[in-house]
Amino acid sequence: MAVGQRALEAAGFPRPGRLERVREWWEQEHVFGVGLILPALLLIVCLVAYPFGMAIYFSLSDYWVGSPGGFVGLENFRQIFQNEVFHRTVYNSFVFTSIAVVFKTLLGVWLAMLLYRTFKFKRLIRGVVLLPWVIPTALSTLAWWWMFDSLYSVVNWTGIRLGLIEAPGPNWLGMTSYAMTAVIAVNVWRGLPFFAIIVLAGLVSIPREYYEAAEVDGARSWGRFRHVTLPLLKPVLAVVILFSTIFTFADFNIVQVLTRGGPVNTTHLFATLAYQTGLQGGNLGQGAAISLFLFPMLAAVVFFQLRFIRRE
Amino acid sequence: MVVGVRSRGARLRSTAFGYANVIPFVAFALFPFYYMVITSLKKDAELYNLQSVPFLIQSGVITDHYRYLLFRTEFLTWMKNSLIISVVATSVSLVIAILAGYSLARLRYRGVNSFGTAVFITYLVPPTLLFLPLSQVVVWLGLSDSIWSLIVTYPTFLVPFSTWLLMGYFRTIPKEVEECALVDGATRLQTLTRIVLPMAIPGIVCVILFGFTLTWNEFTYALTFVSQTASKTAVVGVTADLIRGDIFYWGSLMAGAILASVPIVIVYVLFLDYYVSGLTAGAVKG
Amino acid sequence: MSAHVSRRQFLTTSAGAAAGMAWLASGRAPAFAQKRELTFLSWNHFVPASDDELRKQAEAFGKQAGVTVRVDTIAHLQLPTKYAAEAASQSGHDMIIAQTQTGFLYEHQLVDVQDIVDDLGKKYGGWYPFSKEMALMSSGWKAVPWFWISFPATYNQAHYKKAGLEVPKTWDELLKQGKVLKKQGNPVGIPISHGNDANTTFWSVLWCQGGKVLEADGKTPAINSDKTAQVVEWYKELYKDAMDPEVLSWDDASNNRFMLSGKGSWIHNPISPYNQALAKSMPIADDINHHNSPGGPGGIHSAAPISGISIWKFSKNIDLAKEFIKFHFQKENFDAWIVASNAFNHPPLRNFADHPIWAKNPKFAMLPKEAEYAHARGWPAKPNAAVNLIDVNFALPDMVAKAIAGMPTKRAMAWGEEQVKLAVQGKLETKGKS
Repeated sequence: MAVGQRALEAAGFPRPGRLERVREWWEQEHVFGVGLILPALLLIVCLVAYPFGMAIYFSLSDYWVGSPGGFVGLENFRQIFQNEVFHRTVYNSFVFTSIAVVFKTLLGVWLAMLLYRTFKFKRLIRGVVLLPWVIPTALSTLAWWWMFDSLYSVVNWTGIRLGLIEAPGPNWLGMTSYAMTAVIAVNVWRGLPFFAIIVLAGLVSIPREYYEAAEVDGARSWGRFRHVTLPLLKPVLAVVILFSTIFTFADFNIVQVLTRGGPVNTTHLFATLAYQTGLQGGNLGQGAAISLFLFPMLAAVVFFQLRFIRRE
Repeated sequence: MVVGVRSRGARLRSTAFGYANVIPFVAFALFPFYYMVITSLKKDAELYNLQSVPFLIQSGVITDHYRYLLFRTEFLTWMKNSLIISVVATSVSLVIAILAGYSLARLRYRGVNSFGTAVFITYLVPPTLLFLPLSQVVVWLGLSDSIWSLIVTYPTFLVPFSTWLLMGYFRTIPKEVEECALVDGATRLQTLTRIVLPMAIPGIVCVILFGFTLTWNEFTYALTFVSQTASKTAVVGVTADLIRGDIFYWGSLMAGAILASVPIVIVYVLFLDYYVSGLTAGAVKG
Repeated sequence: MSAHVSRRQFLTTSAGAAAGMAWLASGRAPAFAQKRELTFLSWNHFVPASDDELRKQAEAFGKQAGVTVRVDTIAHLQLPTKYAAEAASQSGHDMIIAQTQTGFLYEHQLVDVQDIVDDLGKKYGGWYPFSKEMALMSSGWKAVPWFWISFPATYNQAHYKKAGLEVPKTWDELLKQGKVLKKQGNPVGIPISHGNDANTTFWSVLWCQGGKVLEADGKTPAINSDKTAQVVEWYKELYKDAMDPEVLSWDDASNNRFMLSGKGSWIHNPISPYNQALAKSMPIADDINHHNSPGGPGGIHSAAPISGISIWKFSKNIDLAKEFIKFHFQKENFDAWIVASNAFNHPPLRNFADHPIWAKNPKFAMLPKEAEYAHARGWPAKPNAAVNLIDVNFALPDMVAKAIAGMPTKRAMAWGEEQVKLAVQGKLETKGKS
């Protein structure tokens, strides 16, 4: 930051030219700050806020694929509230998200702690464990679909050979609770690496001294975990649970490929129901209304989690 | 967490314990991949045979599925498209996120908090809601049916998370370093590029990996905005052209899934350590 | 960290790579094609050779007319998304393949093609009646009916011989036979799930029983009737005694796999399993055969899917598109296309229907007859937006699934009626949705 101009002038330095003045203006904290964030804001306004506004407009209008209709207020919302399928979807979404996130958290922490230990092949194993996250979901879900296929299911085949399942094995994607289990299992498979790696990063950043101090105080494994690891992991966990909840709630690919919402709508999530109603059924207004429903729910979840983080 | 001196026996037991517990996770993660590889090399007749063992190839390995994929579809073109899109979109997002992240993390000005919130809220808006209005925007920009439509729209979901991650990372860089630079006469921009960025490399690598993964795997926008075969991405191309009516070309589908994952696996393997340490500071201390 | 790359090197190489990529990408941008381009969006045909033939004809037409013609194909399940995007942005392809409900949903965005329809009808012996059902809207012909796919019964001759049975002529016969076949270890298969085939078969069975879902006006629900109850009961018995529980999770390809594995003895499906077996040289191909869709007290009816070609109003090449369609429908071209599809593509025009590819092959000879008793879904109502919603939400298979899961038939039907009412609630009168 240049020292006061008058001081400079007083010392005999010439008054800065226009270019210099622009540079100095640019160097001010608030100008520079806003300038830097401008590209991001531009992107958001043009490519997110504007389409979002349009989507809200769709949900409030009688918008069908072939003919944008007129404003109808909350009619679309009223119609979806009447539909039993929509009620089921809300239920499904909460069940799916909560169970999946709980499993991902527990297994993620467990896996992270295992990966934290020093042993050979650490890098290789970390890499391998990341694979489900890295591979494109649209393709890996196809593989899972084949693995759950009613006739050729590898899952059943293995289960039968291991004596865990009786032949011929359940029809995973055709029976109510089994379908939900399958869909959750694939989501956990896909999302576990994300959890594990971030929690691992958190573990890595806990200074050794804390553990040493705890040991000196006589704490054993479980004690160290409860009093050192867990509290220091809380912020990381809170954040990753937050992001994972958002991802999971808005999931589309897994359900769409495996069950398309079936059997009898017991695995429909907001995204898949919106797709079915809006794009396949042609009623874009209602489809947008269903998608928009996600937003307040997510915002509520995020709000509570953020408050929890800030308090820490 | 090996702290202090322990007996050799205790350490061995601990290592064995570690391995034994990791193996189920590794198996769970790898099981589908193994199956995909096997299926991509299996004859169709054997695949549809209920009596055959799914995990082995009993009637001879064939490369037909790979050959069909590589020579009878435009797979290589799709891979090239995906590569270009991922690299360019990730780079663009990286630049935007670096600028925004630094601004939000270090600089003070009116509205900085609301801007931060705005960036974060963007993340909550699902692509399945946006893609239809966005397709109109894409047409207005004249980008319909070209890979540029994706390069322009992908940053919408990359920038929020990347910004947040980099914010965390920038905050871990001691303020004194920057202040020193400023006092020494560096401009703010120079401080950012010459001092702060080099110290934030792990965070940057993390953003690159994350960006590459998300853009490579993205499906909805790629399907909607591009229909010309020559411009499709790898993921859309494989699912679109190898599923015809009610006939699935399973062998080639699995081959496509495997080959389409190769570039991204390579990228991860090269930069895995950066990834962990990048997340350490960004996610944890943010 | 094991990678000893200096930070500066890292940054510069990455930046360089990105710039290089951007340069590469920009080099590929807007075409050079000074020639006019005609574009056609179609589906990925079951038989890739059919698409190849289509492209060949496109090229031939292009040379003749001095333009380039481009045919893009995507998976049929992805078509609705594309249509919506193109309609919303008023830009995209010139011609599109029209599925059953496309004409209704996009009625006012599509060009009137009456001139082509009349022309072709006169030249080639007239159109089959059911082709009108998906192409003729209240404001005129919005699609040129292009091809229909037969939906016969595909059965395994060997299993039937073993059980000493003849092919079923009615759905009731199928039920009786199914019980025998299941005991033999070769159950029959009709999907009751979220898949297109589940809808097609349900419509067929319901019509054969004399029932309907909507009245001819397309608005009044007619699903709550004792005919429907009889159909639901029939499904329940079939599920219990003649099928395996897996049918509850079938997608459109599952019944193919069911047959090809050798387990299944009878499914209701187009000829794709047979074609697939032939293509992959599977021995089971010899055992697979077809027979016409069964009938019932209400006659023989089937919901064979029919597709057309439509032209978007926003297209800049409407006349060119019409020329291309006429070109494609010339006898040599259309015949070549039928052959390339290995008998899949059935013509909606009478004169093309006696092509030797069906007449000469005993396994295919019975297929063309289906045009006489096929209907578009929704019949007697037109396949309007409400019918589309019913199909797309799989309300009909779900109704059956609920009954199978234990809900009393009356209550399941009431639920079905509720779904139909909700579907109808979506605007039928104005703006081209009827």
